Amino acid sequence: MSDNPMKPYLGRLVEVKDLATEIKLFRIELLNGGSEAFCNCKPGQFAFVSAFGLGEAPFGIANSSEHGPYLDFAINRLGTVTTALHELDKGDIVGVRGPLGNCFPMDEFKGKNLVVLGGGIGGAPLRPVIQHVLDHRADYGKLTILWAARNPSLLVFTNEYQDWRKSPNTSLHLTVDTPDPTWDHSVGLITDLLKKVNPSPENSVSITCGPPIMIHYVARLLSEMGFAPQNNYVTLEARMHCGLGKCGRCNLGEKLVCVDGPVFNMEEVGHLLETYL
Amino acid sequence: MIAPKLINPTWLISQTTLENWLDSLAKTRSLIAPRDVDGVLLYRPVENSRQIKWGFTRPALSAKEFFFPSTERLLKIEKTGQQVTLLETLPENQTILFGVRPCDMRGLQTLDALFIEHAPTDPYYSRRRENAIIIGLACKEMGSTCFCTSVGGAPDNSDGMDVALYETGDSYLVQAMTEKGLTLIPQTEWSLTDEIPAPAKQDAPLYALPQQDSWPAHFNADYWEHLSERCLSCRVCAYVCPTCRCFVIRDESLTVPGQFERIRCWDSCTSLNYRRVAGGHRQRANQNERLRNRFYCKFYYYPEQYGLGKSSACTGCGRCVDSCPVNIDITEALIELARLT
Repeated sequence: MSDNPMKPYLGRLVEVKDLATEIKLFRIELLNGGSEAFCNCKPGQFAFVSAFGLGEAPFGIANSSEHGPYLDFAINRLGTVTTALHELDKGDIVGVRGPLGNCFPMDEFKGKNLVVLGGGIGGAPLRPVIQHVLDHRADYGKLTILWAARNPSLLVFTNEYQDWRKSPNTSLHLTVDTPDPTWDHSVGLITDLLKKVNPSPENSVSITCGPPIMIHYVARLLSEMGFAPQNNYVTLEARMHCGLGKCGRCNLGEKLVCVDGPVFNMEEVGHLLETYL
Repeated sequence: MIAPKLINPTWLISQTTLENWLDSLAKTRSLIAPRDVDGVLLYRPVENSRQIKWGFTRPALSAKEFFFPSTERLLKIEKTGQQVTLLETLPENQTILFGVRPCDMRGLQTLDALFIEHAPTDPYYSRRRENAIIIGLACKEMGSTCFCTSVGGAPDNSDGMDVALYETGDSYLVQAMTEKGLTLIPQTEWSLTDEIPAPAKQDAPLYALPQQDSWPAHFNADYWEHLSERCLSCRVCAYVCPTCRCFVIRDESLTVPGQFERIRCWDSCTSLNYRRVAGGHRQRANQNERLRNRFYCKFYYYPEQYGLGKSSACTGCGRCVDSCPVNIDITEALIELARLT
């Protein structure tokens, strides 16, 4: 992080492309020392991206550092900052402040089976996990990806599904709430898909990211399926303004999502999740 | 940052000597002291000691704003075409705060734990703390809504001050508490004394403060719903509080095209859209969840998060009790919690 933790690094947009309806992928090349700060960032960490003049907002880093030297962010156009970012083009300058937060314990996951559950744009912070496992395939057991969205046009990273499926010992399962005529995968909630796929809890960990209500029900179902709370990992979203444990906004009970998280296991936050809904 | 404690050399000085001393200090640094502003007592810059209001209980706002202003610039942003330049604007002003009450000193120590000791250090706050010397003034007795003795404080506690003053008859005992404080004392002009400050008149604690570890058990108590029924989410409790520190960061346009500033402003966890995220989802949508969070922050979350130990983040200054338009009284909540425990 820079000397002044409130001062972002400058970054240049080297690629901006549509990822899904109202969701764009921003690929940023960091300038003025930022690339050194981010070169060892870990799957699960996040950063604030600035649209200078309109503000900054936190986003999960959507690529593994081994897929650098760029930073990828998948950003849904929803508020002031994200709308301003969507108006930028290749070559424009943004700010990036981070890397912030903890990460998925990828070393502890070695030798285990991974069940990765992504809902909508919640898939973005899970992409570095998937990339890391595929890059170090022999270190991990079976990888089961469950990917969901409200409709097919909201699925993210669709052009990478082929690569995920081709990787050994890896399966991808898709579901949407509302299919279109060409849809030939599951229809329904991610919890329905999880019941159907029915992964074994034996030597397995789960990793979930999505809307709070999805996290709540997925965690409940995984627990019923025999996954122990300490093996169910989530990455949580909360409104935050500093990302440094100062502004007070992102607390979940006595925990701060920005510095104690955003990655938690359900043993740590299961009892607090009701206040998160 | 805080210099090691001295053995507190003490001097006895008259009101006139004190005023002359403050006048000379005001020539070297910005002097901030209790001042009557249109009938409201506030810590404000003064040019000389004649502008100071004497014989006060405590100002209506705490000393927080001189270290963590209600609005401050973090960066200046200049955009020219595709070029962006960021200019840091760290505070330079050298200050002396005079007349800081023990509750407000404790407020600053509580904020130090967050902004300085909890990594990473906030450069804006810590710079202001480094550039300031605090001359505290012990209270002789407690005000009608003060309850510092119920939250582990005392009206004559000098912890954290650089220089501590105690009123004794028509004179003042002046104690240097830190090396930084000692530099302000005209030692050749003043006479040392062996006199010890008389203890302040202390009100008995209102209750036995609920133990920190008893808070989680009361999270779902009906009491919070009941208490919050009349809360207006007006946020005044947070703004007058010496330790409330929630803030927002946003960019604002300056009058020159292409120039902006990134600012930090006070906020409060009791405000309606405090936790609204993109897409409109609002966590803690209910008033009782937000008010409960403020109480839990003061007595459980903040002490846990920033290592205050058994100490609470409430200083017992009573400003929120004075200011609340619907008479929500933090001491009532504590009495209720102590009763439930």
